[in-house]
Amino acid sequence: MSRRFDDVTAGAEAFQVSRVVTREDVKAYADASGDQNPLHQDDEVARAAGFPGIVAHGMYTMGTLASAIVGWAGGAEALVRMKVQFRAPVFMGETIVCGGTVRSVDPVAHTATLDVWVRVERDGTTEWPIRKSEAEVRLA
Amino acid sequence: MGLNEVLQGTAYPPVTFVVQEQRVRAFAAAIGDRGGGVPPTFATAPEIAAGLANVIADPELGLDLSSVLHGEQEYTWTRPLRVGETLIAEATIESIRGRGSMRFLTLRTLLRDASGETVVVARSTLIVREGE
Repeated sequence: MSRRFDDVTAGAEAFQVSRVVTREDVKAYADASGDQNPLHQDDEVARAAGFPGIVAHGMYTMGTLASAIVGWAGGAEALVRMKVQFRAPVFMGETIVCGGTVRSVDPVAHTATLDVWVRVERDGTTEWPIRKSEAEVRLA
Repeated sequence: MGLNEVLQGTAYPPVTFVVQEQRVRAFAAAIGDRGGGVPPTFATAPEIAAGLANVIADPELGLDLSSVLHGEQEYTWTRPLRVGETLIAEATIESIRGRGSMRFLTLRTLLRDASGETVVVARSTLIVREGE
């Protein structure tokens, strides 16, 4: 069931969901999505490209974020639009944190626009695999 | 080899894609989706089949996969995808922009259902590093 419009306030934090990124899940994602780029499966290829090891698909990370949005909004039918920028890689074993804040609400259309992001802590620094991104959600 | 700008506007042949339950379940498990339906970004699977797969294989385009990064992604959904339905996916090179060593290739893919309704519009921007 979709989240109620009356329960959503501009400026409020919507959700934060953590997930550990594993080699098994990234391989399963490659097979299910059809993106078999070796950058996401072969450490040698990833190292040749300048990374310490394989990198998760940007779309794996976006998919995880989209599922967090849907979990908050109350169903896949609530997600109307999503636009993301990929700004940093995600490596195996890292914990990604998917988050969203309500930027604005539209009382006529009964929709909310969220600022959404994916964050990871790496070597004492916060990296943003997804940032400056947004989602539009339909509310009940 | 440089990215061939003449190919801006190229439409690749439509691809038929069946939303198979087993594949949907595997996709949902991989991204940790517990909603029970088809995850919205499952649209990536037909999008790749119709778009990226053609782009990579297009000798006219001259794209070197090892020099490509995914820069941006946008989806607009009319409704959720349904298990068992057949989609027609059709990709077009919307634009090739940028100068110097950094080029941006934007691919637009439409997913239509059996009744012809557009269910998803996907826009994918690839960053291509050239001359390295």
